[in-house]
Amino acid sequence: MIVCVAVVGHQNNPLYIQSFNEGDDALKLHHIVHCSLDVIDERVNNPKKSGPMLNETFLGLLYPTENYKVYGYLTNTKVKFILVTTDLDVRDADMRNFFRKFHAAYVDAVSNPFHVPGKKITSRTFAERVSNIVKSFGLGSSG
Amino acid sequence: MEEYPEELRTPPVPLITLVGFPELHPTISAHLNAEKPPINTLALPDFDKISVFAKPIDSADSSSSPPAGILKRDWLLKHRTKIPSVAVALFSSDHVSGDPSQWLQLSTLLDHLKTVIRTRNTKLVVVVVQTSPEDDMNEDRMAALRKRVELDSKYIVNFSMRDSSEVKQSLNRHDSLLVAVYAEFRRDWVEALKFYEDAYHALREMVGTSTRLPAIQRLVEIKTLAEQLHFKISTLLLHGGKLVEAILWFRQHCTSYKKLVGTAEATFLHWEWLSRQFLVFAELLETSSKNLPALPAQVSGVKDKALTEWELQPAYYYQLASRYLMEKRSCLELALSMWEIFGESNNPAESVIPSAYVGQFARLLEQGHEEVALQPLTDEEFIRYSIAEGKRFQDSFEIIALMKKSYEVYTGLKFPRMASYCSFHIAKEYYSLGEIKNAKQYFDSAVKLYRHESWTTLLWEILGYLRECASQDGSLKEFLEYSLEMAALPITSGDSTYKECGPAGPPSLQQREIIHKEILGLVTGESEFALKGADQNLRVTNDSPLHIEIDLVSPLRVVLLASVAFHEQVVKPGMPTQFTLSLLSQLPLPFEIDAIDVQFNQSECNFVIQNSQKTSSPANFTNQAGYRVETAPALALSTNKWLRLTYDVKSDRSGKLDCISIIVRIGSHFTICCRAESPASMDDLPLWKFEECLESFPTKDPAQAFSGQKAIQVEEPDAQVDLSVDADGPALIGENFIVPVTISSKGHSVYSGELKINLVDTRGGGLVSPREFEPHSTESHHVELLGVSGPGDENSLTTSDNIRNIQHSFGLISVPFLNGGESWSCKLEIKWHRPKPIMLYVSLSYSSQGHDVNMQKIHVHKSLQIEGQTPVLISHHMRLPFRRDALLLSRVKPAADAEKMPCLPLNETSILVVSAKNCTEVPLRVLSMTIEKDDNSLENSCTVHPASNQHTDAAPLNIVVPGEEYKKVFSVIPVANTPRTRIGTVCLKWMRDTGPLNQGVSGVLTKHKLPDANVEQSPLIVSLKCPPHGVLGDPFTYFIIVQNQTELLQEIKYSLLDSQSFVSSGSHNDTIFVLPKSEHILSYKLVPLASGALQLPRVTVTSSRYSATFQPSVAASTIFVFPVKPQFEMKTMEYSAEPMMLAAE
Repeated sequence: MIVCVAVVGHQNNPLYIQSFNEGDDALKLHHIVHCSLDVIDERVNNPKKSGPMLNETFLGLLYPTENYKVYGYLTNTKVKFILVTTDLDVRDADMRNFFRKFHAAYVDAVSNPFHVPGKKITSRTFAERVSNIVKSFGLGSSG
Repeated sequence: MEEYPEELRTPPVPLITLVGFPELHPTISAHLNAEKPPINTLALPDFDKISVFAKPIDSADSSSSPPAGILKRDWLLKHRTKIPSVAVALFSSDHVSGDPSQWLQLSTLLDHLKTVIRTRNTKLVVVVVQTSPEDDMNEDRMAALRKRVELDSKYIVNFSMRDSSEVKQSLNRHDSLLVAVYAEFRRDWVEALKFYEDAYHALREMVGTSTRLPAIQRLVEIKTLAEQLHFKISTLLLHGGKLVEAILWFRQHCTSYKKLVGTAEATFLHWEWLSRQFLVFAELLETSSKNLPALPAQVSGVKDKALTEWELQPAYYYQLASRYLMEKRSCLELALSMWEIFGESNNPAESVIPSAYVGQFARLLEQGHEEVALQPLTDEEFIRYSIAEGKRFQDSFEIIALMKKSYEVYTGLKFPRMASYCSFHIAKEYYSLGEIKNAKQYFDSAVKLYRHESWTTLLWEILGYLRECASQDGSLKEFLEYSLEMAALPITSGDSTYKECGPAGPPSLQQREIIHKEILGLVTGESEFALKGADQNLRVTNDSPLHIEIDLVSPLRVVLLASVAFHEQVVKPGMPTQFTLSLLSQLPLPFEIDAIDVQFNQSECNFVIQNSQKTSSPANFTNQAGYRVETAPALALSTNKWLRLTYDVKSDRSGKLDCISIIVRIGSHFTICCRAESPASMDDLPLWKFEECLESFPTKDPAQAFSGQKAIQVEEPDAQVDLSVDADGPALIGENFIVPVTISSKGHSVYSGELKINLVDTRGGGLVSPREFEPHSTESHHVELLGVSGPGDENSLTTSDNIRNIQHSFGLISVPFLNGGESWSCKLEIKWHRPKPIMLYVSLSYSSQGHDVNMQKIHVHKSLQIEGQTPVLISHHMRLPFRRDALLLSRVKPAADAEKMPCLPLNETSILVVSAKNCTEVPLRVLSMTIEKDDNSLENSCTVHPASNQHTDAAPLNIVVPGEEYKKVFSVIPVANTPRTRIGTVCLKWMRDTGPLNQGVSGVLTKHKLPDANVEQSPLIVSLKCPPHGVLGDPFTYFIIVQNQTELLQEIKYSLLDSQSFVSSGSHNDTIFVLPKSEHILSYKLVPLASGALQLPRVTVTSSRYSATFQPSVAASTIFVFPVKPQFEMKTMEYSAEPMMLAAE
């Protein structure tokens, strides 16, 4: 189950952060998302270590905390997507699929002419779409 | 890791016992101990002592009943120090090969030995020591011996066999742990690992099955055992360099045991255990990573195994160890409180000790004096004991130590966010311990990053802690600063679920508003600030006012932002100018400002704006006399809305008027000092710049929001002094051009005036051109300022206190004091050496008030472009005399370079005409024109004289109007036959024609160098002679004279072409010979047949020696014929100098 998704801007500032699990502490999830930025920095700045995934937007598993797994995604405009899930066994393909949908939703949101680039995403439509994607995650993984 | 007993941490050490032959024991022991790995020895001097190894009878009995535990606590130690794995019996060879009684004795001893060691599975090695090398071993006896001890022959060795470690133990213990330990004995890591893993898995299976002990204790026992097994496995894996496997193994270990929390009251034991797992693994990883240099290389393989970067870092495990320790602490606290509620804390747990089995505890019961008995515990007793034990430890310090460790590692690895997270936890621990100072230090280090990266929620939490720290510290100022920052954070909704929020509560708009109200209550003095440990609370009053500074990088910019924009860029002194002061606050609620103090760099411009609705406020700022006070109807700030105030300001001082700070007073004793910012260069608000909120301009005029500046330039006062610089017409090269400068006061008095003069090339580039080297002009400057002469005579300015600094292109002179209405003038002398336009800049600086150095100077600038012109253009002609031509051989066969040089015949008079054309627009007066010899020409190679018929003293005639030429004729006679003859330099003295000529005026000298001439001996000279004019019908004689100047006979051909205007007599063609140094005269009688300018018959003279032909020019062979004899007097004139004729040519 996905408990938190976040969009992080160029200055590592949160543009959108939403937690979905009532049982978890949102602040703790925010801390986890923030800490996983270190891994993204590390992977982006030292691409040699990452090896073949040079042009890959999907950054893979970032950070195994005690109860969560954190996945990352870097768009071509260097906006970071971060996902925190409680599922400890997730296929990479599912994750890629999720991020692709999420990216599409993000692109639609920032394409809004009333959106100022670099500002927080306050679009309600975006929030709804993200919540739908999050809900459908895991259900549609078989298909 | 240090908590583990040594036998667990280090590889096992085998133990061997030696029996018999005590004199050899020290040697053998020392040798075995030095082995790698070392082997312990237990030396028994006598065979009688062997019975110590025998198993105690009672334990043998109990072995029939099921064991009370899985593994005895001292098992490892026992096998290291007490129970040998190999017994070595040493016999002298005498005993073997000696008499039968000895043999019998030996057999008995061996039998005894065998019975003892059989119970212990100890292997026997029999060593027969040969005392003398020549002793022959009795093969029969050896065989018998072998048979007696029922051993393979390889266990019976002769003397030199010492390496007992090679002896194989064939132990058949089912417990694979033990096998693994033995495998480790033999350094068989792979085998050992396999058996350890088997044991581990077997143990895991026991979790659900074993019912031997009460549930809690059973779990504790199993976990303890698993921990030890895991430790062994990890050590072995890391020792073998298998980092990734070790980590994966650890991960598996954690996941399989993590869920075995156990019953509720014992959860803290589980978390403690888990924390220990992480700590031990972290320590293992840290120590082994030092031995594994290839750590980064292994990272590349991480992806496939789904390991992340963190899992290779010991810091990660330290961090998690502390996380679980926190978990344990909270569970322990819960258990403790439960325990206390039920009032069972009084039961002492003094006599519980670890029992004989690993992971088990038992109560020690004293049964008399020496005897003790162990009684198994119930779960309840065990929990009680554990809680009592747990109470003794200070978990917080452990947590802080672990977090610090990972904090340092993360900081070293440049993982700032992880480090911040750790420092946040450290700070929280310190905070809960009440160590506010330490807590603040770590909170501060984390808060910077959150501010920088605008993580509002995290910032909220940490600021809440910091605020609470400040409150406990008794620092009202810090408390207010943190409160203000929190209240101004961009948090609009509190819809997320926040559970652990720190002291500030969950981030939400309501909380911000609560904080805001709290602040307002404090600063207005309505509420008090509770001081910890003091009876009296702190209140913002007259005695303890509060002041907060907000600079350009302060996080409090969001609380109050002050922007100042002047409407104009420059202003005259003393003139009022408008500026807009705008204030912006992101505080959630609107609030009233009591007064605003505006401060400029020119302090006399400062003023205060009072809120008219708050008249009761004491006049803090306005106690100075003459302080400007403005009153505004309302000074209320609401969220994200600019409060714009426009006021006039007037400055009398020229220079920059800069608004420095805006001091806002809220309540009576609380002030915030904001650094004023220009709208044009204002940074976005931190945090809020990412918010989607309405952005408005600080000024009403949007253009000013982009270009407005908080500083304005105050001009200097208008100069009431006239500076005039005049120059009539262009300057002429060579003359001292005079530029009059006049300073006339029109109101201002001129104090300490200074006049600066600057010459600048209008086309750019300097006035100096060192590349053009002129031998006759020593000045390297094309234009130079020669000097400044005062109004009267020049001496009037040479007083000592007057600055006079004249350089080639720069001059600085001081101007004497002038009263209002007075004037002063001076003249600049500028000399041009090249035709060049220049700009003349003259600037006057003076002060109008007095000789004060600090007084502001007033500047007046004037500039003038002056052209430099060439006054005269000098040209010259070189001519031979009229109708007299010399044969110059170089002209006949011109060489390439000789062409340019004029040729002059030696000893012949040549005519030089020098003309000077006036190129200016003013008439010039020529004073004299001479040709001067160059100084360096040693011998006088030619003589130059002015032509005799000119009147040099006719001065009025020498005025040359613009465009006219002045001419003068010189005769040049070369006297020395040199290839290059210097003729000289034309020196023209001239001046501007300014009225009547004064005596003693030197004029300007312009020089023109005449080109060198080529002088050569002429072999032949042809002269034509005829009268100056003829009369129609009147015959005259036309002579052609050929002069031979050589030592040779010259053959000359000539021919005469008839002209239709004349009737001629004489031969038309002939060849003549002219004798050396003599002349031949051809004469013709001519009768003119027409009148006017007529062509004489053309004569052609050809010298066959030089193959040169001469024909007189048309002008030379033209004669004017009058129709009748003219009726006027005529002087006879010489042919040689006829300037008018030459000019006409």
